[in-house]
Amino acid sequence: MVSPFAWFKWVALFKDWHVFAAGFVTTAVVSLVALGLAMALGIFFGMLGASHGKIPWVITRCYVEFIQNTPLVIQVFFLYNGLPYLGLTLPVIAVGIIGVGVYHGAYIAEVIRSGIQAIPKGQREAALSQGFTYWEALRYIILPQAKKVIFPPLTNQAVYLIRNTSVLAMIAGGDLMYRADSWAGNNLYYGPSYVVTGVLYLLLCLPLSQFARHLERKAEVSA
Amino acid sequence: MKKFSVLIVSLVLLASLITVSCMAATTDSPDIKAIKDRGVLKIGVKVDVPKFGYRDPKTDKIDGFEVDIAKVIAKKILGNKAKVDFQAVNAKTRGPLLDNGEVDLVIATFTITDERKKSYNFSDPYFTDGVGLLVKKAGKYKSLQDLNGKKIGVAQSSTSRKAVQDEADKLGIKIDFFEYATYPEIKAALDSGRVDCFSVDASILNGYVDRSTMVLSDRFSPQNYGVASKKGNDGLAQLVNDTINDMKNSGQINKLIKKWKIK
Repeated sequence: MVSPFAWFKWVALFKDWHVFAAGFVTTAVVSLVALGLAMALGIFFGMLGASHGKIPWVITRCYVEFIQNTPLVIQVFFLYNGLPYLGLTLPVIAVGIIGVGVYHGAYIAEVIRSGIQAIPKGQREAALSQGFTYWEALRYIILPQAKKVIFPPLTNQAVYLIRNTSVLAMIAGGDLMYRADSWAGNNLYYGPSYVVTGVLYLLLCLPLSQFARHLERKAEVSA
Repeated sequence: MKKFSVLIVSLVLLASLITVSCMAATTDSPDIKAIKDRGVLKIGVKVDVPKFGYRDPKTDKIDGFEVDIAKVIAKKILGNKAKVDFQAVNAKTRGPLLDNGEVDLVIATFTITDERKKSYNFSDPYFTDGVGLLVKKAGKYKSLQDLNGKKIGVAQSSTSRKAVQDEADKLGIKIDFFEYATYPEIKAALDSGRVDCFSVDASILNGYVDRSTMVLSDRFSPQNYGVASKKGNDGLAQLVNDTINDMKNSGQINKLIKKWKIK
């Protein structure tokens, strides 16, 4: 038989390297922008969720529960095929950034909320009694302590986010997974295609998790 | 002396008869023998292409033109057309499933190409179809020419992209392609306006026509469907090819095409 990893299939892949390079760039860009969006949403809703108002609490729960309890695939499919019926046709890249960013924003919000709430409330009460406002107390007293709790799960979210950008493959997003599927689909040289794609995802995720580990060390979370 | 020579001749005849019958018993190549020992033929078919391979949601049974071909091959190898295990495949899984031996044969609107022949054995074609274009009636498109600068949705692992691209090059027009994993996803993208046209083999397209859409009369680059098997299982490939050719010569293939009202 001809092995799925036969040499001529590798040769074909190296000849078409630009296909994979283009996918790699798209995935990296979408990941980066979506990560920024997810962090902004996560920090905002995380702090909102940890505050004591009834209305902010309801808003945060609605966002987090809705996003966490429906599959990302459905959300992206809706953004892609549903919104056009409402007259809004977003570019595919925007669908990816918004879909993945909003999805992980909800998870990051939970990470931040639980981090803040993990700090004994005596800390906040002490800060308030010293004349700090609520936001000052959060900024100078609570968050510096909370980040030790927040960092490790936050890193996980960032890495999940990169891998989840592969939902773009479903909506012809031109990302790494889409290019790999497309290339392997035409010639059926799927062996090298998916090995190389896996390695490229590793190249994206590994530095990020290493960087995060470095940050954790600086924050004295891990030894 | 004469008696003796008769004896010799008859002995020789007997011996050759035994050898011949022994040889007949051992002509099964190891790959076919493996299937006979197993007692069932494993075949990958489509379950989402009406008339070719389609699982009826009401009865949960898989039926179609290609399913019937599978049964004929099973009868040829195992003497019983019921001894087939059908497995649903799509364009993405049919290659790997052949490689890892999960299926012996793939009969799933599998277009023969030179590139694919390097990885798999293909039988002679049992059906030839052209790539077609499904568009919204509201778009007022008449032919590929009108789709200049438009977006066309195609299936991953299908040959339609190249077929349409070649034709577009001839006409000197520009087309953007978007690939999706399944046909229903392409239809959803056509309905939502993400793509302007849905292009696959015409016989497959016919299953997706509805009130707001229509198939244009253009047909591009004939696509030959073949039965695929793993390289190395050459005995099986030979037997399948003989069966397909017998079916073609006897008119059985045409009968099946009529039976399923294809085209």
